[in-house]
Order: sequence, then C-alpha cells, then structure tokens
Amino acid sequence: MDSLQLGSYSFSSRLILGTGKFSSTRSMLEAVRSSGTQLVTVALRRFNRNQAEDDLFGPLSEIGGITLMPNTSGAATAKEAILAAHISRELSGSPFVKVEIHPNPHHLMPDPIETYEACKILAAEGFLVMPYIPADPVLAKRLEDVGCASVMPLGSAIGSGQGLSTAAMLSIIIRESGIPVIVDAGLRSPSEACAAMEMGCEAVLVNSAVAVARDPAAMAGAFARAVEAGRQASRAGIMPKSGTAVATSPLTSFLGTAP
Amino acid sequence: MISLPAWMTDRSLSADLETLLAPEQDGSLERFAAEAQAITLRRFGRIISLYAPLYLSNFCSSGCVYCGFASDRKAPRRKLDYDEMEKELTAMKALGISDALLLTGERTSAAGFDYLRRAVGIAAKIMPRVAVEAFPMTVAEYRALADSGCTGITIYQESYNPEDYRKLHLWGPKQDFLERLETPERALQGGIRSVGVGALLGLSEPVGEALVLARHVRHLCRTYWKAGISVSFPRIRPQEGGYMPAYPVDDRFLARMIFAFRIAMPDVDLVLSTRESPGFRDGMAGLGITRMSIASRTTVGGYLDTETPGASQFEVSDDRSAEAFCNALRAKELEPVFKNWDPAYNGPLINEETICR
Repeated sequence: MDSLQLGSYSFSSRLILGTGKFSSTRSMLEAVRSSGTQLVTVALRRFNRNQAEDDLFGPLSEIGGITLMPNTSGAATAKEAILAAHISRELSGSPFVKVEIHPNPHHLMPDPIETYEACKILAAEGFLVMPYIPADPVLAKRLEDVGCASVMPLGSAIGSGQGLSTAAMLSIIIRESGIPVIVDAGLRSPSEACAAMEMGCEAVLVNSAVAVARDPAAMAGAFARAVEAGRQASRAGIMPKSGTAVATSPLTSFLGTAP
Repeated sequence: MISLPAWMTDRSLSADLETLLAPEQDGSLERFAAEAQAITLRRFGRIISLYAPLYLSNFCSSGCVYCGFASDRKAPRRKLDYDEMEKELTAMKALGISDALLLTGERTSAAGFDYLRRAVGIAAKIMPRVAVEAFPMTVAEYRALADSGCTGITIYQESYNPEDYRKLHLWGPKQDFLERLETPERALQGGIRSVGVGALLGLSEPVGEALVLARHVRHLCRTYWKAGISVSFPRIRPQEGGYMPAYPVDDRFLARMIFAFRIAMPDVDLVLSTRESPGFRDGMAGLGITRMSIASRTTVGGYLDTETPGASQFEVSDDRSAEAFCNALRAKELEPVFKNWDPAYNGPLINEETICR
C-alpha cells in the first residue's frame, strides 16, 4: 500500500488542507470531507474555546479519520513558536506541529534562522515537526539532520497563486531529501499540485486555492484527484524529456554491439 | 519652519498611488473595485477580522478643533476605574469580542501612562489581543506596554500637512507635529508589533494626505521589516464642538482611496470603523477592507450602559449589534473572525532578541 509516512503515522491521502480563509466553518468542513484528506492544519490563532461559533478546532476534531496538525502562524520568533507548539499540543493532543515563523506579517516569508532554532528544540522534545520553509536545499538538509518529520518548502508566496515558482530549488530538495518533501503555499490550481507530485513530492498542502474557489468542496475534490494522478505518474516512471526525436530503431545498430 | 523627514517628500514612494488617485481615474472605480476584491481574496481569503474599541477616559489636555474630547468641551469628564474596566471588558467578551482597542485622550494626570499600562495588563488577562490608541509615548514606555501585553498601537497623524496641522491643534502636547509623526517609530523601537496609521479625512486636501500616508507606510515597512502596518480611513464625523470639515470626502473618493491602497499594498491590513454607515461598510467589506470594528461605543463606560449621554468622541454611524453586523458579512460570504491572534505571540518584538538560545 502506497502511503505517506510521517513518524509512526501513515496516511493514504497525500493532500493536506489548510483551514483558514474560508467563508464559513461549514464551507471549510465540506471541503475537508470532499477532499478525503486525513491531515489538516489549523492555526492556534483560530482556536477559540470561549466562542464555539468562532472556533475552528472544535468542529474539526469532531470529524472522524482526521489528524490535526496545529500551526504556529503568527509567531515571529523561535521562542514564540515553541510556546505556541506547547499550547497547541496541550489543547489538541496532536503530536504534529507545523512550524510557521514569519516575522514579516505582510509577505509571510518563513524565517530560516528562527525556524531552524525552533525545529531543533521541538524535534528533541518529541514533536513530529513539519517546518514551513523557503525552498532552500541546504536548510532542508539541516532540518532533516535535527530530526524533522518532513520539510515543507514553499511553491511560491502564501496566497500568491503563483504556483511552483521555486521548481528548480524544489527538485534539488526532493533529490537530496531523506524525509518527505511537501510543497506548501502558492499553489493555484490542481494541475500545479499534480506537477508537484510528478516532481516527486510526497504530498502537497493547499489552502487559499480551495478556500477562495467559488465551490470550495468541488475544488478540494479536484485537488485530491490531481494529487493522486501526480503520485501515480511519479511512481509509474515519467518519460524523460528530450530536445530531439528518438528513433525507434537505433541509428547505430549497424555498428554492432560493444565488445 | 520645521524640518520634515526625507520620506515625507519622496514622491517615488507614492508614484503608484498618484496614478490611481488622479482625477481622470474617477471613471475607473468599478475596475479598481474588481481588482481590489481579487487581491483581497487571494491574500486574505474570505474573512474579516473584528475588533472593538473601549474608551477608558475622555480626559484630555489638547485643543483639537475637530474632536469631541478637546479640553475646552463642556462634556462631562469620566474615566473608568480598574474594576469598571474589568467589567466592561467582560461585557465585551460576552459579545464575543477577542480583540480590544483601548482609547484615551491626550496624556493627563488623571489618565497618564501608569493608568494606561495597568489597563493593558487587565485587558490582556481577558482578551487574546490588546491594542492601544492613546497619546504619544517614549520608547521605554512602549516597551513597558508591550511587556504588559499590548500588541499594537493606533496613532493617526490626523493631518500630514504641517500648516493645516498647526491650525487644527490649538494648544496642548498634540501641537507638536513631528513628535506625533515619529510616534509609530518609537512604538516599533519599543517592541510593539503592529502600528495602525491614518489621516483624519476632511482636515486637509485628501489626495495629498493619501500620498503622504502611503509614503509613511512604505517608510515604516522598509525601516522596521518585522512591523505589521495597517491603514485606517477615518473620516470626520459630527461631534461635540460642531467642527465642519474643510475638505469633505465623499463616498466615491473614500472608496477609490481604499481600492488604491489595496492595489498598491496587497498585503497590508486595511481598516474601516463604525464611523462609517452600514451601507458603506457592508459594501467595502472584502473590497480591500480586511479588518473592521464592531458594536462600538465611543463613550466612556459604553458597554454597560453607564454612559453619560453626549460625552462621545464622535457619533457612531453603524450602530448595529455584533450579531446583526456579522450576519451582514455572512450574507456577502465573508466570515467574521473574532479571534485571529493568540497570547502566545504577545510580548515585545525586538530585532536583536529574536533567536531562541
């Protein structure tokens, strides 16, 4: 069985969904169900124990077959991300934490230095650490070395819909990585998710593209199928690209075989 | 003659806004609206973050000709004591509010820094996010506020035109144009994470105000790269004192200004308060605007109905309940979000102290 392995957890779905930016909790839950996802991320910022109507965690925790991965979006430093991870684990009981440290609240680019520091500590504490990172092959290996469960390089800026603008760097990360590589952020359409999977990503995380679609549930389903197709293609062996035609009968057959 | 900082006159910082706000672009309003909506949707999704103001005190030491709290106004003076504050905040919390903006007038002995700092401490125990709109402070004072749990400050320059500013502020500490102009920077140096800026529209020629405001935002973003900057668009409202704006701003211009800011600054929070009418607020939600106030009381003690009638800073235009306003957002397929922050991220954010050892 082909499954996504993260620590001791295995998932048959390779689509991870973000839960922010939806027009309503109901719309978000419909997208989660329709996607068949088994792993969703929810920001500690959006846990609201005082007001059920405003809370994302409660309704998600009631869906069967879903593992929750709290994220630290809002943290600007390693120290804040570590505190947020501890609070999130306390509230959710999940061993997963998606480490998101973006000190600039406008472009939301992840801070590689603070992220590394936080991951080192959280991994040593036993969390299944899933860091959101720039598409930097060296940082990816450093995070593998400190015990992260995966790396989650960005395809492009959060909410930009610019797709796999970091493709060249992603392919190096994928080639070198000993832990699952999950593209997170920037994907606009199912074809881009499919392309990421064909490149050899183990999973993709999508939020904005589903949340702001006219029909989020339908879009979530489309992403699920695209991810599956990309995965199957990657395992089946994609024909290499070539700039020239390749003759079916070898042009050099008259030379005989090499001795 | 005061010496203005270089950014204030650097037109390269506002060239895009200048094009968008040119008079001949008035016919492009619908196109601007569509673009602003698309950008907002992509970057912020289908949510509107909500906050509510709490007026702590209407004591004031300044003479701003346009303000209902100015120190020569006949309106009775009041401030909340610490018990009342806690009760007001608890009443706000019962309405679902999780993000409170604490307001005072200019610094007075009745409501000075120590009073404000204690208020922040009380609020931070009840609200996940606490911000302050009060008087200009020193870097050390801002650091102390951040330590007490203050995440953001709002400070409007009111008018970016030094000559108008002089005529509008007749006495008191607020007469110092430059001290006010530099306040956002002192707050950020003190570790306050986010700063809301704006011009009080109606006081000065509005296109000029919009351009300098844009330069201010870009100067702050470039100099303080971790700072969250938000932009508000307050417009003069009827108030005790009866000031009539010299440069009235109509709905069409205000809308265009908001669209222009969204197009030029795709990832900055744009804020609209209950100063504006229900129709305008509902229309603008999601068309650039990402953050809105709700259920606002602009009187001291307003949430428990112990207010003294008339003693408000300005008249609220959108007086719908939190529930009614949220339903209006939902009808537009926008989710009202009350809690969009966590106390885990409170505390000062100082450039040199960020790496966890």
